[in-house]
Amino acid sequence: MKNKGIVFFLIILAVVIVAVVAIDFNASKPDKQPANPYAFNVDPFSRIDTALILFKESRDLAISFSEPTGISFRGDELFVVGDQKMQIIEPTGKLMNEVSFDQKPTCVYASAEKIFVGFRKSITILSRDGVKIADWNSFSDSTVITSIAEKSGIVFVADAGKRIIRKFSFDGKAQGEIEGKSGNDQIHGFIIPSPYFDLAFNTDGELWVVNPGKHSLENYTVDGKLRTWWQASSIKIEGFSGCCNPAHFAFLPDGSFITSEKGLIRIKTYKPSGEFSGVVAAPSKFTENGHAPDLAIDNQGNIYALDADKKMLRLFVKK
Amino acid sequence: MENNNKKSRRDFIRSGTRLSILLTLGAVGGIAAKHLTAEKYVWQIDPFKCTQCGRCATSCVMTPSAVKCIHAFNLCGYCDLCGGYLKPDANKRSTAAEDQLCPTAAIARKFIEEPYFEYVINEDLCIGCAKCVKGCTSFGNGSLHLQIIHKRCLNCNECSIARLCPSQAISRVKASKAYNVKGSFTKDSKV
Repeated sequence: MKNKGIVFFLIILAVVIVAVVAIDFNASKPDKQPANPYAFNVDPFSRIDTALILFKESRDLAISFSEPTGISFRGDELFVVGDQKMQIIEPTGKLMNEVSFDQKPTCVYASAEKIFVGFRKSITILSRDGVKIADWNSFSDSTVITSIAEKSGIVFVADAGKRIIRKFSFDGKAQGEIEGKSGNDQIHGFIIPSPYFDLAFNTDGELWVVNPGKHSLENYTVDGKLRTWWQASSIKIEGFSGCCNPAHFAFLPDGSFITSEKGLIRIKTYKPSGEFSGVVAAPSKFTENGHAPDLAIDNQGNIYALDADKKMLRLFVKK
Repeated sequence: MENNNKKSRRDFIRSGTRLSILLTLGAVGGIAAKHLTAEKYVWQIDPFKCTQCGRCATSCVMTPSAVKCIHAFNLCGYCDLCGGYLKPDANKRSTAAEDQLCPTAAIARKFIEEPYFEYVINEDLCIGCAKCVKGCTSFGNGSLHLQIIHKRCLNCNECSIARLCPSQAISRVKASKAYNVKGSFTKDSKV
């Protein structure tokens, strides 16, 4: 009788031990944990009302770059730089030409006659068929070239390291600088927290520059005088969030802005006045914490986004 | 003469004992020397694998957690609108508690010059919840990141956070390279 009691007790004890171990094992698994009071969910900010999405992704072109960095469109050709090369690609995806360099380009701009390839501290000028014409090397050690545009024989170079826009003639002679300062207290000059400093001319020939630290786009005369600006600083979809957005921008043929943001990656469109129009591509389209896609617009207003994380050119067309 | 060359039994035992002691001492010394010179390992977070789930605050055996936020100042934009400091829906960009993302007000916002602000972590207040890291990674440059602070860490045989980390961001690293600080530690670094 006594032995039966001991055996019964040991069986109960064994069952209890097994149960405790099993419960503890399951409770310790990451997916079995109770809700974390400190979790910070940013998903609500990445959700987009589908009614706001005005474009659809029509096709993707795989590109042979491990680290694509910049894109430009001119005529019927796409110019893509990255790694240590530039590729000229037809919109169909057919590779037309490839030019190699001894360092990694940061940006590219194709004018009617020339191709300007920006590196960290230098610029190489090529003919449209890829033959090297000149090298511009007269930049300071702290220079970080992030964008190039050209208008009426003057080349505008965004220098994120020095936080200025440099102007050059076609033969490489310095033509002055734009510091972005004005008498208006609200405009401080260019605030560039990270190497994202873009500039472009719209179809009316007006120079627009991103001031990423202010979440603003600013219009300057070619002499460097501030003409107008608009700002959209907000975590909401209508605005730009984070420390340095928009990272890239381009213009539709009607003068509307297309902007690309880093951090919470999204591509949006704004009216020429700066009023929010809608969304081109929602954050769900991109790799989380990836790179802001550089943008190029073709003559029909179709948007090419250079997705450096998925290593492809993504084409967005209006719905 | 022959008898003189023969060792006595006593001498044999004496020599054997000496040799045994010598060998034992040598072995103990060797093991001790090896132990002293061997590379030690500690637990550390890979900031590029961390998904800022917040478990470091609640899973560490230490209270508060030995995991703290650290700031790579060379990556910071010194922004007025800091995604790591301010709540996304903050009323304004101020130091008001209602606008701060950090639940323990462990980040000090210091004005440098218009419009730049410096963000400094108070390690004693930080609980390693990673809310600021998530905000900085999602909206900023990613300069805020988590690290295990070794003067606070017990270096348990089995790290209770590592066991639960959903992204397996915590692993043993050499004590000589005990920190994976962003800026000097890059995504492609080999630990």
